[in-house]
Amino acid sequence: MSNFILGHLSLFELVLVCSILGYSQYIVLRAGVFSMATAGFASIGAYTAALLSVRIDSPLWVGLLAAATIGALAGAILAWPLARLRGVFQAIATLAFVQIVISIGLYWESMTGGALGLNGIPKLVHFGHLLLVMSMVLYVLITLSRTGIGRAFDIIRQDETVAVSLGISVVKYQRLAFVLSGVLGGLGGGLMAYRNYSLVPEDFGFPLLISALSFVVLGGRIAVFGPLVGALILTLLPELARPLADYRLAVNGVLMLLAIIYWPYGVVDTLSLHWRQRRAVRTQVEARS
Amino acid sequence: MLAQQLLNGLVTGSTYALFALGFTLVFGVLHVLNLAHGAIFMAGAFAGLYAVTAAELPLYLAFLIAMLSGGLVSVAVDWLALRPLRQRGSSEFAAIISSLGIAQVLMSAGQAISQTQIMRFPFGTFPVVIYEFWGVRISLLQAAILGLSLLLAFTLLLFLFRTDFGRRVRAVAISERTSSLLGIRPNIVYFQTFFISGALAGAAGVIIGLAFNSVHFLMGEPFLLKAFVVIVLGGLGSIGGALIGGVMLGLIQTIAVSYLSSSLSDAIIYSLLFCILLIRPTGLFGKLHIETRVVRS
Repeated sequence: MSNFILGHLSLFELVLVCSILGYSQYIVLRAGVFSMATAGFASIGAYTAALLSVRIDSPLWVGLLAAATIGALAGAILAWPLARLRGVFQAIATLAFVQIVISIGLYWESMTGGALGLNGIPKLVHFGHLLLVMSMVLYVLITLSRTGIGRAFDIIRQDETVAVSLGISVVKYQRLAFVLSGVLGGLGGGLMAYRNYSLVPEDFGFPLLISALSFVVLGGRIAVFGPLVGALILTLLPELARPLADYRLAVNGVLMLLAIIYWPYGVVDTLSLHWRQRRAVRTQVEARS
Repeated sequence: MLAQQLLNGLVTGSTYALFALGFTLVFGVLHVLNLAHGAIFMAGAFAGLYAVTAAELPLYLAFLIAMLSGGLVSVAVDWLALRPLRQRGSSEFAAIISSLGIAQVLMSAGQAISQTQIMRFPFGTFPVVIYEFWGVRISLLQAAILGLSLLLAFTLLLFLFRTDFGRRVRAVAISERTSSLLGIRPNIVYFQTFFISGALAGAAGVIIGLAFNSVHFLMGEPFLLKAFVVIVLGGLGSIGGALIGGVMLGLIQTIAVSYLSSSLSDAIIYSLLFCILLIRPTGLFGKLHIETRVVRS
């Protein structure tokens, strides 16, 4: 097993970076927000981190911290108008945000390098850093989902009217989810910048947005480990079954389709639901005997 | 000079409107954002192109084939991706995901068929004739684009508001349950709606493929993104709104490109979309009543 991991180290690095972006998508979906802004946050974070290390040689942690902070700021600003919108309109508005970020990246050549992008970014991130960041993210998310905040997110997602009647401020919690999504998106973008050597604005367009969504849909929207499992499956599957690698796009699409139709809660949530039901049945049987 | 720019904007705008017609129709009837519309449009353009290049058919036949295959692909998208969700009564989020999924499958098929190449209609498929009125130049193709998008939009409006069929569609759009009590079969109406939407996408595919002289597997994506702006401008689900919204978008874009900068024009357009969503989420002309604030259905 450890040999397999060492042999495919860059692949596992990719899985970790992708799943951090997946978590940025996960946190908003869990709170019932239809955001697709992850790609935009990632772009902002990636350019912040890359510029800091290229222009002023800042160390890794400063760059990542700055990326996360800028992402949070973008999330907070965007959350204010989005609180007025619901459903499809939120999705359209966040898609517009992603497009605005891309076109500013193309236009502001003195800063972002335009269509040619930023090149020669030092590779500062290694597998150990990624594991550390990932475990921090998981720790925060697990803690969050065990406190009132996680419960509030779950209620808002299931029924807003019930949430309001329980005295939960939908706007406040959705804003929080949005800021967290910005933090994680910025962080994921920063990690991408420090791993990929170069950045172009189009890296953060539709394909990135779709893959972040598909990790969450396939993995699960409720359990914290969902997006990680989703990213693991979707990144490793084309590598394990080589002939599939040419049709990565189609495999991704088919899995998304099957997941949303047959396993609407995703792999992890469906399995944990199944397990919980079995345990409930078993305790019932034991109680009867 | 300004008149020429405005004319170009009008033509660009009517291609946007043409694309958005089918998209807004599906939203109006099913309240579903069909993100596979771009891929259906690509499939129609491919069918039209191969009818001209491989089967060497005349353009009008290729056009009909493109409409037919666009319609069929669209019906298949509905059957595979959206119908199962409808039967289960899933949320609008699920429909967005599944249409994105099938769009990826279609685009991957398009990539495999075209071998990732940009294809063109052979020279002379559409006669190159240029007219000049009062110093404004308009090619026959541009005139055809303008005329055709107006024609298709008005046919669709007539269909929806002056025929029995249209009355059924509108009834289902208002309430599926009530209309099935009144003896309308919603599944047939959905089938017809998707077919028409796909046929419009196929027509748009050939016209846009001719106008920009390029057909490739990613051609749907920029138009899908523009279509969001168009339908938000005109009101989600409104046919007339899509026409006006498309033309407005085309004019704004051409003016932004010629007086500011081409890369900034996208930023301007999407910021406009954002502002409209905040000020008037039902669109500038929308009569559609969607609850945007209180409850998510």
